[in-house]
Amino acid sequence: MTAFLDLLPFADMSRLELGFWSFPVLLGLIFLRAPIGLAMLLCGFGGWYFAMNGNPVPLLAKLKSETYTTFSSYSLTIIPLFLLMGQFATLSGMSTALFKAAESFLGHRRGGVAMAAVGACAGFGAICGSSLATAATMGKVALPELRRYGYSGGFSTATLAAGGTLGILIPPSVILVIYAIITEQNIAKLFLAAFIPGILAALGYVLTISLYVRLYPNSAGTRPPVPMAERWKALGNTWPVLAIFGLVVGGIYAGWFTPTEGAAIGAAGTGIVAMISGNLKWPVFKEALLGTGKTTAMIFFIVLGASFYNGFLALSGVPQTMADYVLSQGFSPWFVLAIILTFYLIFGAVMDSLSMILLTVPIFFPVISAMDFGMSSEHVAIWFGILVLIVVEVGLITPPVGMNLFIINGMDRETKITDTYKAVMFFVGSDILRVVILVVFPAITLFLIP
Amino acid sequence: MHRFFIWLARVAAIIGGLVLIVLVVLTTLSIIGRTLNKLMHSGLAESTLGSLAQWIIDLGVGEINGNYELLEAGVAFAIFSFFPICQLYNNHATVDVFTSALPPKALLFLRAFWEVVLSVTIIFITWRLYEGMLRYIGNGETTLFLQMPVWWSYAASFAAATVACIVAAYCAVMRVTEAATGRTILPEH
Repeated sequence: MTAFLDLLPFADMSRLELGFWSFPVLLGLIFLRAPIGLAMLLCGFGGWYFAMNGNPVPLLAKLKSETYTTFSSYSLTIIPLFLLMGQFATLSGMSTALFKAAESFLGHRRGGVAMAAVGACAGFGAICGSSLATAATMGKVALPELRRYGYSGGFSTATLAAGGTLGILIPPSVILVIYAIITEQNIAKLFLAAFIPGILAALGYVLTISLYVRLYPNSAGTRPPVPMAERWKALGNTWPVLAIFGLVVGGIYAGWFTPTEGAAIGAAGTGIVAMISGNLKWPVFKEALLGTGKTTAMIFFIVLGASFYNGFLALSGVPQTMADYVLSQGFSPWFVLAIILTFYLIFGAVMDSLSMILLTVPIFFPVISAMDFGMSSEHVAIWFGILVLIVVEVGLITPPVGMNLFIINGMDRETKITDTYKAVMFFVGSDILRVVILVVFPAITLFLIP
Repeated sequence: MHRFFIWLARVAAIIGGLVLIVLVVLTTLSIIGRTLNKLMHSGLAESTLGSLAQWIIDLGVGEINGNYELLEAGVAFAIFSFFPICQLYNNHATVDVFTSALPPKALLFLRAFWEVVLSVTIIFITWRLYEGMLRYIGNGETTLFLQMPVWWSYAASFAAATVACIVAAYCAVMRVTEAATGRTILPEH
C-alpha cells in the first residue's frame, strides 16, 4: 500500500504544494460521486501521509483518538439534540396549528394561502433547525390545501421549497452552530443576528407571492375570510411554538444554560408536545429515532472528514498563504466579499450546505477577517456568517439540484419539476435581492447585537 | 440473511436513539435542578419559604454531577450506532449531477466502488478506535467528575463501531453484487 502511494507524484511535493493540489483531487473525488465525507477523509489521510514524508505513524497515532474526540466534542453534541428536536417538532402537530393560524389571517387575500404557507414555515423554523425537515413537514400540511384552493402546481411547490429554507435561517439552526464552532464565535449572538434576516426573508417571499399572483392571475384561487374570533383561537393554538422558541433561544442568550443544554430542553419540549398530541406512538417514535440517526451519521461523517482535511490544510499553510496573497493584492474588501458570495451561490447549486461550510469557511474566513470592513472583528464574523448561511441556502432551491425542490416536487405527482423550476426563480430572485441589501447595510444583521 | 442486516442496523440505531433520549432527560433534569438550587439560595426564597428552602437544598436538588461527561460519551456512542443505518439506506451526502449522464451499468459500478472504499475506511477507523481503547486501558485514565475510566466510553463506541463494520462489509458485498447482476438489493432511503 505505502509502496503504491510513494509512486504518486505527491511524494516529492512541499506541504504548500500538497495543500493546493488537494483541492482539485478533492473536487474530482466528490464529482465522481464519492460520499463527500469519504472524499474529505481520503484527502485528509493522504495529505497527512505525504506531509509527513511518507511516514504513516503520525496519522495512525492521530486516528487513535481523533474520531472519538470529534464525536464526543461537547460543542458538537448540540447537533443530534437539535435534530431530535426537529424530528419531534414534525410530529408535534404544530405544523398544522401554525398553518391554520396563518391561513385564517391571510387565506382570503390574493395569494393568501401561499403567504400563509410561508408564514407557517417561518414559525416552524423557530422550533426546527433544518431546511429539509421544514420543507417536508410544511409540504405535507400545506400542499393539499394550496391545491384545494386552486393554486397552480409549480407555484405551490416552489412556495413551499422556498419557505423551507426559513427553517435554517430562523434560529435554532444546525448550520449556524457549525459556523460558530469553526470560527469560534458565540452561538447565541449568531442566532440573534439571524433573526431579522429571517423575518426579512419571510417578508420577501410574501412580496414575491403577491407579485407572482399579479403577473399570473390564474395561478391562485380565492377562499372566503375566516371570522375574527376563529382567527384568534387558531393563533392561540400555536402557543407551544412561542414557548419553546422563547425558552430555548432566550435561555441560551440570557446565559441560563449552554447552547447544548438549550437544545436538550428544546428536544424535551417538542417531545412533550408531540406526546400530548398523541402522535408519538411507538412505531412513529421509532421512525423519529431512525430519522435522527440517519441525518446525524451523515452530518458527523462529513464533520469527521472535514476535521481531518482541515487539519491537514492548516498544516500545509494554504489558508494563511491565501489570506496573505489576497491582502497583498490590495483588493477592495467588498470586491472580495462579492467574489466569495458568488462562489457560494454557484457551488451551492450542486453541493449541500453543510459540506460547503465545512470545506470553505476555514479558507475564506481568515481572508475576510483580515480585511477592513470598518466594523469590529466580531461583527464582521457574525455578519459574514449570516451572509454565507443565506447564500448556501439559496442552493437548496436553485435548479437543477436544489434538494428542497425535489422533496416538495416528490409530494405532488401532477406537477412537473420544470414547472417548479420556473416558479422558484422568483423566490431565488428575492433571495439574491435580500443578500444585496444585507451586504450593503450590515446594520440590519447587527441591529440586535450589542 | 438480508433481513438480519436490516434488523441489526435498525436495532443499533434505535439503541443509539434511546441513549440520546436518556441524555435529553438527564440534561433537562440537571438544568431544572440547577435552577431550583439557585432559586432556593436566593434571598427571596429564604424570606418567603424559610426552612422549606433549606429543606429543598438539603434534599440534594441541583445539577447532576458529571452530566457533561455522560453527554459526551453517550453522544459519541449514539453517533457510532447511527452509522450502519446511514450506510444501509444510502444516506451519505454525494454530488450526483456530474455522474448522472453515465449509463446505468457504469453508475452501478461506480457506486459499488465507493461503497467498498467507504467500508474499508470504516473498518480502518474502527481498528484505530480499538487501538485508542487499548491505550486508555493501559494508562488507566479516568474522567474528572465521575472518575469513570475513559476506556469505558471507548469500549461502548467500539462496540457500536463493530456493528457499523459488519453492516459496512455487507453493504459493500451487496453493492458489488448489484453491479455484477443488475438486481436491486439494498433499500433506497
